[in-house]
Amino acid sequence: MSNKITCTHCHLEFHQDVMIKDGEHYFCCNGCQGVYHLLSDEGLDSFYDKLGSNTLTAPTGQYEDSSNFNSPAFYDKFVTVDEDGFSHVSLIIEGIHCSACVWLNEKALHKMDGIIEASINFTNNKAVITWADSVVKLSQIIDMIRAIGYNAFPYDASIQETHANKERKDYYLRMSVAIFATMNVMWIAVAQYAGYFTGMTQDMKTILNIAEGTLATPVLFYSGWIFFRGAYYGIKTKVINMDILVATGASLTYLYSIYITLIEDGEAYFDSVTMIITFVLVGKFLEVLSKKSAADALDLIGKNIPSEVNVVKDEKIVSCKLADVNVGDIIVISSGEKVLFDGEITTGNGTFDESSLTGESEPIYRTIGDSVVSGTLSIDADIHYKANKDFEHSTLSNLVSLLETAIIKKPKIEQMANKLSEYFSSTILALSFITFLAWYLFGNSFEVSLMVGISVIVIACPCALALATPVATLVGLSLGAKRGILFKEAAQLEIMAKVDTLVLDKTGTITVGKPEVVNETILHSFDKNILYSLVKSSNHPVARGVVEFLKLDESIDEYILDEYNQIPASGISAIYNGSKVLGGNKKLILDNGLSIDYESDNTLFYFSIDNSVVAIYELRDNIKKNAKKLVDNLSKRGVCVVILTGDNDKTAQRVAKEVGIDQFMSEQTPEDKSNYIERLHSEDKTVVMVGDGINDILALAQADIGIVMGSGSDIAVDVSDVILLDDSLTSLEDAFKISRTTFGLIKQNLGISLVYNAITIPLAMAGFIIPLVAAISMSVSSLLVVGNSMRIRYKWDKN
Amino acid sequence: MDNWVIGMMLSASIFLGAVALVAFLWAIKNGQFDDQEKFLNGAKFDGVDELNDAVNQEKKREELKKNYKPE
Repeated sequence: MSNKITCTHCHLEFHQDVMIKDGEHYFCCNGCQGVYHLLSDEGLDSFYDKLGSNTLTAPTGQYEDSSNFNSPAFYDKFVTVDEDGFSHVSLIIEGIHCSACVWLNEKALHKMDGIIEASINFTNNKAVITWADSVVKLSQIIDMIRAIGYNAFPYDASIQETHANKERKDYYLRMSVAIFATMNVMWIAVAQYAGYFTGMTQDMKTILNIAEGTLATPVLFYSGWIFFRGAYYGIKTKVINMDILVATGASLTYLYSIYITLIEDGEAYFDSVTMIITFVLVGKFLEVLSKKSAADALDLIGKNIPSEVNVVKDEKIVSCKLADVNVGDIIVISSGEKVLFDGEITTGNGTFDESSLTGESEPIYRTIGDSVVSGTLSIDADIHYKANKDFEHSTLSNLVSLLETAIIKKPKIEQMANKLSEYFSSTILALSFITFLAWYLFGNSFEVSLMVGISVIVIACPCALALATPVATLVGLSLGAKRGILFKEAAQLEIMAKVDTLVLDKTGTITVGKPEVVNETILHSFDKNILYSLVKSSNHPVARGVVEFLKLDESIDEYILDEYNQIPASGISAIYNGSKVLGGNKKLILDNGLSIDYESDNTLFYFSIDNSVVAIYELRDNIKKNAKKLVDNLSKRGVCVVILTGDNDKTAQRVAKEVGIDQFMSEQTPEDKSNYIERLHSEDKTVVMVGDGINDILALAQADIGIVMGSGSDIAVDVSDVILLDDSLTSLEDAFKISRTTFGLIKQNLGISLVYNAITIPLAMAGFIIPLVAAISMSVSSLLVVGNSMRIRYKWDKN
Repeated sequence: MDNWVIGMMLSASIFLGAVALVAFLWAIKNGQFDDQEKFLNGAKFDGVDELNDAVNQEKKREELKKNYKPE
């Protein structure tokens, strides 16, 4: 350890031999050295003092050409221009570790001519940059960020995320005003109530009323604006919602209290106005907090599609826009690239990742004459292929348009609280009107009758009702979050509690998704380090499985092999100390003139040294722990469990049998899966779909609840409603449990608030409610609801 | 104690409270709570250089604004 040295730039430790010596400094790579010199030339070397003992990622120095950032299409999409003629762009900056990095980026950008402002958010690494486009171009800005060792890519800030943040901020503002005013009104109200019992001059009362009135006004008209807006939309769509009740209740009370203040007789209720608005506003805010801040899933797919492909034209390779590629054109794909057109291979061969279609991660070998499908990924294939469809009709575009319809078709299940509040609101408004009429007709003065009528609305005013659902769901969401279950939207908890069909994907959901060694047969003893060295650099899932198995032995070490060669669709060959070593499938063994007699249902990996097979490994995609328990528990609750898989019938049958599921469908394409869900919907079933891959996205988007494994593809995570971070089936079961608990809690809370109303409303109609009782009972009911929710949370935390 | 004393105290305290509230609202609108880290770090580390930097930035903005001619 003694001769390890820290790199002057990134502070990572390396062996002295591999470091670049430069004066008295040491650097781990050219990138670090370059950045260091750049910073000291620019006079920014105080960065290292700020950095302290933090480490950085070494700059890679290899980026694609930045000039495409200057294309008009790009500017059109990401850059906005303000009235002063300055351009704005939102960037995500990669590689920010500490506040020193933020400082460096801002400082370096500020030093550039033409940049007006660069503001980087440390918490989420997002930057907003303002610049004068006549002086400096966006590509130069990006180049600067790259030059100092970070990377930046733009994102479209105009989509929902910013919108959601704006809404949240709006609520913060309104709530601050409401809470401030309520707190002040409360202590004035204490004086009022004390005066009510001990006697107080009318002058004093009026002073207090005026003070309360001053505080209540911004609450009603600024904070309460949301309810007036909601009420307006409610009336427009002819739905009597809670907002109408709150708005009428609060404004009637407000007007009445002003009237009382002016005639200097009776009790004003400004405290009720502020209390109601504040409580219900808090309830609404909790709902906004737990709303889905979904980024645009379709946008995400679009981002993954390059805008150009390489096409052979006149025996030259030229890049060509997707829309300009015609049927019959020859397209070039090199390893690591995505196939964007359906077609047929004309030259070359190699393996493809077709998991977006089948969900199976096993690479598929394709050679001349075979077809390639858009949406698949070339793993090691460098091929030319002939497009036989244009982009609009390709499988990939088809998938995107199907996804669009699937998202639209997603059924909306009405929430209990919404339905209830509609009935509740209309009942209360009717009751209050009847009370007013009855009192007036029975010979009371107009004022008294109006007051009693209003008191019905005020007392019924649904503080507890408004809090019932949001508080309960918030408890549910936080219980889930602690266990690595992320519900994107609160409403999903309620829907999930009502589910009667669970659809599971096989690979990656019920099974681990990658082959694991289940059996090792050693025919002749050999040095396992050779095998380890052979398979270590391969990305093939079978090889990875063998590596994982060998790694269990901690003393394993890597040797250096000669003539290492990966043979597509069969395995790996290499030379070690003059002997030929082979590792791969049966084909590889037979091709090399060896014969072996070994039968198994599992995937086999053969290892041979000098033309004799020394070991055979059996690998299988194992079933996750607790799969059977989950299925048993859910079946007991009457939930019907189904497996949908892209895999063959035999494997599907084996897995279904092992976990105890009777219903399974095999060889399902993404469309088949989504059609199956649609069929379930037409039978009035509420469906949860659990999956992980691109092949599941249609079904995930269409199911009532789509649950995705955290390790699933980005797009799948995006279209789903619930994410299981630890990929385990125990979390899946927990998710069901949490949703049921939460739903129970919602019912209890609604019960509490309804019981409260059943007691107080008759009292109010009879005219027995004095202001003190009203204020206390209102707070008590809200406290009961919150307390009840906390109780459930405590109970869960104890388990 | 006369009523006007109460009245004055009430209005004075509500006014002071309102000033603080307005300052708070301004801070929220200004985005000062969007990134806790940065503003705290600013308070801790910012020195003369940072202030100069901010002033220069402002100058640059004004200059570029003058040069800008809308088409």
